[in-house]
Amino acid sequence: MQTYLLKWWQTIRISWSKYTAYRLNFFLQVVGPFLVFFFIKYNLWSSIYEGSSTPVIKGYNFSDMMHYHIWTLIISLLGQGYAAMNLSEDIRLGRISSYLIYPFEFWEFHTAGFVSFQILQVFVSSITLCLAVFFGFIEFPSLSIILTGFSFTLFMGMFWFTMQYFTGLLAFWLEETWIMRVLLSIIVSFLSGYIFPLELYPEWLVGALKYSPFPYMSYFPAKIFMGQEVNLTLGYSVLTFWIAVFAYINHLIWKKGMRLYTAAGM
Amino acid sequence: MISSLKHYLGVYRYFVTTSVSEALSFRTSFILLVLMDIFFYFSVLFSVDFLFDHMQTIGPWNRYQLLFFICFMLNIDTIHMGVFSSNFWMLGFKIRTGELDFDLLKPTHSIFICFFRYLKPSSLLTAPVAWGLLIYYGSKIGLLWYDWLLIPPLLLLGLSLLCVLEFILCTSMFWLVEGMGINFLRMQMQQMARWPDFIYKYTYQKIFTIGVPLLLIGSGPVHFILDKSNWHYLAGMCLAIVISTLILVKIWNKALRQYDSASS
Repeated sequence: MQTYLLKWWQTIRISWSKYTAYRLNFFLQVVGPFLVFFFIKYNLWSSIYEGSSTPVIKGYNFSDMMHYHIWTLIISLLGQGYAAMNLSEDIRLGRISSYLIYPFEFWEFHTAGFVSFQILQVFVSSITLCLAVFFGFIEFPSLSIILTGFSFTLFMGMFWFTMQYFTGLLAFWLEETWIMRVLLSIIVSFLSGYIFPLELYPEWLVGALKYSPFPYMSYFPAKIFMGQEVNLTLGYSVLTFWIAVFAYINHLIWKKGMRLYTAAGM
Repeated sequence: MISSLKHYLGVYRYFVTTSVSEALSFRTSFILLVLMDIFFYFSVLFSVDFLFDHMQTIGPWNRYQLLFFICFMLNIDTIHMGVFSSNFWMLGFKIRTGELDFDLLKPTHSIFICFFRYLKPSSLLTAPVAWGLLIYYGSKIGLLWYDWLLIPPLLLLGLSLLCVLEFILCTSMFWLVEGMGINFLRMQMQQMARWPDFIYKYTYQKIFTIGVPLLLIGSGPVHFILDKSNWHYLAGMCLAIVISTLILVKIWNKALRQYDSASS
């Protein structure tokens, strides 16, 4: 058991070194997009509220709207990373042959990479949170809210990882899996409340999304962080269900993919 | 001059042919690319449309004016995606692996071979969707016949400015080991340009109109289409393209001098 855990620890360490080797690249790739998107949202909503005849739009005044967007920024940093990006390349270039003989499986290697990425992102999002509090954008929430919000977001990160893993595994059949990844990002950004709160969407759409994983990827955790009452049991149940679904699909794809795999270059 | 143009057009014809054959060899990826673009168009349009269910205007523009602007930018994106986008990703890879050596040896200008080599033919299928949306929202805001005639050259003007700015940014890949981050930064530049200039606060507006003229890409042409007294935007764009091209040539030459081939 100890040897097995040591393998996980070493893989996490190696992944950490890989992620932090090119720091500027890491910043531009992982942190930059969320910051720029927040910058756009800040300007957009400032402009909307300045020109609006009413100070409240669907229950949000300007300050509430900014709180919401700061929390979605932190949630995205924490739960929607790019940890599974190299997975498809491993399959396409035939690098998984090594994993077939290693005493550490393919999913274990990438999950350890994901854990490493999550640890890094906890630091990044904590710094972002501290900066947001320091510059007076938000008030520091109570410890229980922080713990509830962080644990839910990290759990959501697991779901995000299983989805990313799913798109990566499609490399057994597809030449370019980045298309699926981008497609997934577009759908998630649009339906999760990342662009703006779901209260602004048509009611029929919000209703239709209730049991899908999307609202639980930005809107729901943002509400937790904002101290509003949410049905945590429902949130965890829906995500658990979808994690199980995607984990099972991934298991099937892997089995089918391995039968198809020809180990390029061997 | 004419023989040089003929030479470049001949080479470009081969770029197109090889890109089309390559794209059609992977049909599922080709279809997914089309789907991805269409999803993107509609997610952007619906987002703005949902916003207007709760407000009358954003800045000075109403629903249809803003949606027309969005469609104008989507059309620039479509051409950009089809003609240029793959090249930016490939450049980082080529510099890192030393494959750029082969491009530099070819008898064409290095900027041409680096930024025009790969095309995405899937954009040919999504372009009619983008045109259709532009025509729909253009008719909603009551464009006149000469406005319609202005749209194609203005699209090209916006595209040229976007590309020159991106070319400049991408030269930084010569100094960095990993070019992925620069490509993400480039995409953020596009994100910023996808919103009209007036949503940005005064200082940012000035920085991103005069300093790094990102906001001119779509806002300049659309302001002019909606109100012809806004010709100064177009003058600004032309000036920005000229200055940026001069900067690009200078930085590009410097970058090539410092390029240290990874394969030799």
